[in-house]
Amino acid sequence: MLKGIVLKIPSDDIIVETVQTFVEKVGLTAGVSEEDVTGLSIAVMEVVKNAIEHGNGGDPKKHVTIYIDVYPGRLQFQVDDCGNWQPDADLGHDPGEGEALISSRGRGVLIARNLARWLDYGLNPEGKTRATLIWPLS
Amino acid sequence: MKIKEEIKDGVMVIRLSGKVISGPDLMDLKSVFQKAVSDATGNVLLDLGHVSWMDSSGLGVLVSGHTSLAREGGRMAILNATRKIHELFIITKLITIFETFTDESEALDSLKE
Repeated sequence: MLKGIVLKIPSDDIIVETVQTFVEKVGLTAGVSEEDVTGLSIAVMEVVKNAIEHGNGGDPKKHVTIYIDVYPGRLQFQVDDCGNWQPDADLGHDPGEGEALISSRGRGVLIARNLARWLDYGLNPEGKTRATLIWPLS
Repeated sequence: MKIKEEIKDGVMVIRLSGKVISGPDLMDLKSVFQKAVSDATGNVLLDLGHVSWMDSSGLGVLVSGHTSLAREGGRMAILNATRKIHELFIITKLITIFETFTDESEALDSLKE
């Protein structure tokens, strides 16, 4: 069983595609179907992109750390950044109305929650933002 | 992602297939929308019948294209969104701003009005 995978990446968009490929490979190894694995990687990468942008302000000197563990029946991703932002307050569950609705940004959390069914935000032991995403395995 | 474009009955029809997600391909899609706006083609029909996945960046490009066209008096309609993509439009409430069709002739007739 896959446990204790840790991926530490700089906050740079250039790394995003590589991480997405890695997440898909981990998903397939853990038993996610070919049909669902893109959904998994999109959900995880929405969280990672938010961590890069909102948590670390896109500063390549700041890192995002991704912890991956496989448990019976579930695949868990924990994504830590260096910030203390409040995703539910800053981004919310609601896409908004009017100008907010036609903004070209700000839908990542909604999409990740919809795909993964379980996405929660809290703090890591250092008091920085931690997102926990759980993907059910059949 | 693959992009095909054609003019049909005076409407620019953009057919997408594959994954509409972050990456260099999205710049190509942005360019196609910019072309539709600058060429004053007016209205765009976006065929999503073969799109398997879309992320927030892909949605952002669609919204941006929709807004740019509307600013110039044009319209954008969506054709054949799959169940998965339609669900995405519902959870993001974009279903309230996108016109959606399942029949191409009907969509073209509407955009010609």
